[in-house]
Amino acid sequence: MTSEFPASPLTANGLSVGYGDTTILKNIDLDIAAGQITALVGPNGCGKSTLLKAFARILKPKSGHVTLEGQPITSYATRDVATRLAILPQGPVAPEGLSVTELVAQGRFPHQTLFRQWSPGDREAVERAMRLTDLEDFAERPVHSLSGGQRQRCWLAMVLAQDTPLLLLDEPTTFLDLKVQVDLMALLSRIVHEDGRTMVLVLHELNLAAAFADRIVMMRDGQIVAQGSGAEVIKPEELRAVFDLRSDVIADPATGRPVCLPRTSEQVVPLQSAAE
Amino acid sequence: MNATRTIFAATGFWLCIAGVLFAFLWHISVGAKAIPLGTVWQALVAPEDGVFDHVVVRDLRMPRAIFAISVGAALSVAGALMQGVTRNPLAEPGILGLMAGATFAVIIGIGWFGLAGTAYVPLFAAIGALIGAVLVWTIASAAPGGATPLTLILSGAAVGGFLYAIESAAILLNEDAFRNFRVWLSGSLAGRDMETYLWALPWFITGLVAAMVIARQVTALAMGEETAAGLGVDTVKIKFISLAAVVVLTAAAVSVAGPLGFVGLVIPHVVRLFVGSDYRLIVPFSAIVGAGYVIVVDIAARVVLAPIEISTGIVTTMLGAPMFIWLVRTKL
Amino acid sequence: MSMTTLEGFGGRVALQVPMKALMVSCALVLAIVGVLTWSLMTGSYPMTSAEVWATLFGDPPSDTASTVVWEFRFPRTLVAFIVGAFLALSGAALQYVTRNPLADPSLVGVSQGAALVVVSVTILAPTMGYFWRPMLAFGGSLTVAAIILAAASSHRGGETLRFILMGIGVAALISSFTQALLTYGDIDRAMSALGWLAGSVHSVGWDEVRWLTATACIVMPALFFAARPLSAIRFGEDVATGLGIRVRVARWGLVILAVSLAATAVAAVGPLGFVGLVAPHLAGRLAHSGVGLHLVLTALTGALMVGLADFAGRAAFAPIQIPAGLVTAIIGVPVFVFLILRTQARSQL
Repeated sequence: MTSEFPASPLTANGLSVGYGDTTILKNIDLDIAAGQITALVGPNGCGKSTLLKAFARILKPKSGHVTLEGQPITSYATRDVATRLAILPQGPVAPEGLSVTELVAQGRFPHQTLFRQWSPGDREAVERAMRLTDLEDFAERPVHSLSGGQRQRCWLAMVLAQDTPLLLLDEPTTFLDLKVQVDLMALLSRIVHEDGRTMVLVLHELNLAAAFADRIVMMRDGQIVAQGSGAEVIKPEELRAVFDLRSDVIADPATGRPVCLPRTSEQVVPLQSAAE
Repeated sequence: MNATRTIFAATGFWLCIAGVLFAFLWHISVGAKAIPLGTVWQALVAPEDGVFDHVVVRDLRMPRAIFAISVGAALSVAGALMQGVTRNPLAEPGILGLMAGATFAVIIGIGWFGLAGTAYVPLFAAIGALIGAVLVWTIASAAPGGATPLTLILSGAAVGGFLYAIESAAILLNEDAFRNFRVWLSGSLAGRDMETYLWALPWFITGLVAAMVIARQVTALAMGEETAAGLGVDTVKIKFISLAAVVVLTAAAVSVAGPLGFVGLVIPHVVRLFVGSDYRLIVPFSAIVGAGYVIVVDIAARVVLAPIEISTGIVTTMLGAPMFIWLVRTKL
Repeated sequence: MSMTTLEGFGGRVALQVPMKALMVSCALVLAIVGVLTWSLMTGSYPMTSAEVWATLFGDPPSDTASTVVWEFRFPRTLVAFIVGAFLALSGAALQYVTRNPLADPSLVGVSQGAALVVVSVTILAPTMGYFWRPMLAFGGSLTVAAIILAAASSHRGGETLRFILMGIGVAALISSFTQALLTYGDIDRAMSALGWLAGSVHSVGWDEVRWLTATACIVMPALFFAARPLSAIRFGEDVATGLGIRVRVARWGLVILAVSLAATAVAAVGPLGFVGLVAPHLAGRLAHSGVGLHLVLTALTGALMVGLADFAGRAAFAPIQIPAGLVTAIIGVPVFVFLILRTQARSQL
């Protein structure tokens, strides 16, 4: 379980996290694979968002530690962490009246100093992030006037402008229309695979994870139950164990990736017998 | 209401009455010269003209005790009605701008229109209270979330701050006219004469009777407007009567004692702890407990730093504000 | 927003400058100079603008002019400007830190905390030197700020309006203690405290100017450094951490700065209400800009606002002086109402 940079830029070693007396994560060991999308999935309250926040040093572990590029994350100044790792929390709220460009430019924060507040490098990074997320047309619009999907793209652009090799996103697709969710996931996939970045996502939607993530980590009750590629993890017995969900898993005819079909107890029987 | 509860309620009711009566006597006995409770009792039941203590009790001290009882009852019932009808645990004549409006109107009426006659004081206070209530309600309803407890309190603070500033400026511009109002403005039972009280008395009675009459319907309204309508309550009519009652009670209380903050907030909550959610019980119990509360507070205001007297309104705020903070923490 | 980028020292210094905000700042400075002149001209001994400026530059037309300007009108007007800037900045910092557009030192009890301490000193220890007033006021305000933040933090800190409601309650409680002290105290001292409590600039002199300036020299540079963390903190705790801010440290540092500004201002002239609420909001409307410039604009707007309020209170019903605090409240409340009507939708409890 040793971290071999660059193979695993971010690892959790014996990580336990909790609020007050309650422990949410119990002794987690996890290596995030470089250059891939890792999706954390699991039922509500399983600790996936907590794990993400612990990775991003927003929550302090009770025991164990997180290593970033081979070093304990606590040994970095928080600004140095911010140049290596960016996090987009769930449901962020922008201050009123802020324009899209201003929001995205905020991502340059860790790269700036009091006397070097705006360099050509900053401008390039912001423009690039806005190009990637297809926001150029909205540049001067107030963030609040945009739709949910557009707003989520603004926040994503801010995190991209931070220009870090590691990106952590907490449920970036929640509350978005299905089409917007798929577009966003395709965009994330392109960013990771074209730029050679590493991404960790918390996802609610299992099939979205199956379709786009390179690795899936299934969690339940603060522990990791299964991890691996979609085909390795998305199986009826795993889903039963993690989600208490009866389901069938078929392969997507176009991509070969697994697709989960939830069943009620009446529905599940005939299909299984048909498979036999 | 089943039989056991009726018995409990009746017992509690008479116990409270006894408590208030005791506080009433105690209030009278306390002062620059302590008068024994026995003498107080005699003075009230069988006064003798020649006895000095009896004169002090009847002419000097008893009026103030009566003011305290009336004001406490009026404000508590007003608060209970407001909390029930608006389904807002933080409603109270002081917080929602009625007191500020009433105080403002009295100041303006006396200062600018020179209406010295005490007969007009309750009338002006009522007009002011109504305007204050309507202003606060209008602002809160126009806010995006509608008239929630939150918007109501915020607009109450806004209206209160505004009126207070104008009031203070008006006082500065005409200091002589307001010399006697300084103490009244901080909410005090001292130095008010019986005449003002007698003019306010019909208002007290009207308000309390109206509150008792609509108590049953308020219980239904407190469960939600649709529920109430479903139970056959004419919600518009009841709301209108409640508003009138609250305005009348607040006006009467303010004319007699100035603004006494937080009484209407504290008492109904305490009462509700014991008698539940039936306004047929909450209204009378609020009246009695509120009367007892203000009379005890007034004793404290006179005794704690004696011979100096703190305004009663200051003490009710000291006791009520923590309750307000606690309610914000737990109920919102 | 028209942006112009200035660079120097081989890219080591690079700043993005919004032209409109700069122009607005210049206009505000001109307006302040205008109010200063006007204010120095007006009073029971009227002067022309030429006389005023001659006096200020050391060539007074008469001894009376010199005394009137240097002893009375000039220090008073200066204090009004500085106090306005302080309260405005304090409000802006509180609003950024708590992410709450309604945060204002006089609404959330910070001013009342300072006021209670100053009134206690005036009444209980009238011999205590001037030097200690601002210090003690700072202690009082900070205590109140800590209480409110701690009490409101059970859910999600200052972002919710619960914070403002707690503040209203705490402010009422503290004011009642102040009132009690006033009844308890000696009548003359109580009267002087009462005038001060209305937020009055008219009794100040060079002493106040001196320690206000001293505070400004310490706090303003700190606030300038704080502009950057502020701009990240307004996105909320998690995002700010992600951007590399030590949120806890930054938040407390900023609260202390905000409180020290408000406390010094209150110690000088009493609790002037609503300046911290109105000025940041108005500044944001005048010109859209980043956090740093917004702070500059806010300070200028606040200075102008209190300068004008003091002038209006002095001139409108002369010879009776209406305390500036009453004028700012009368101007401020409509803005407060406007903000209630607007910001409700997003900030639930």
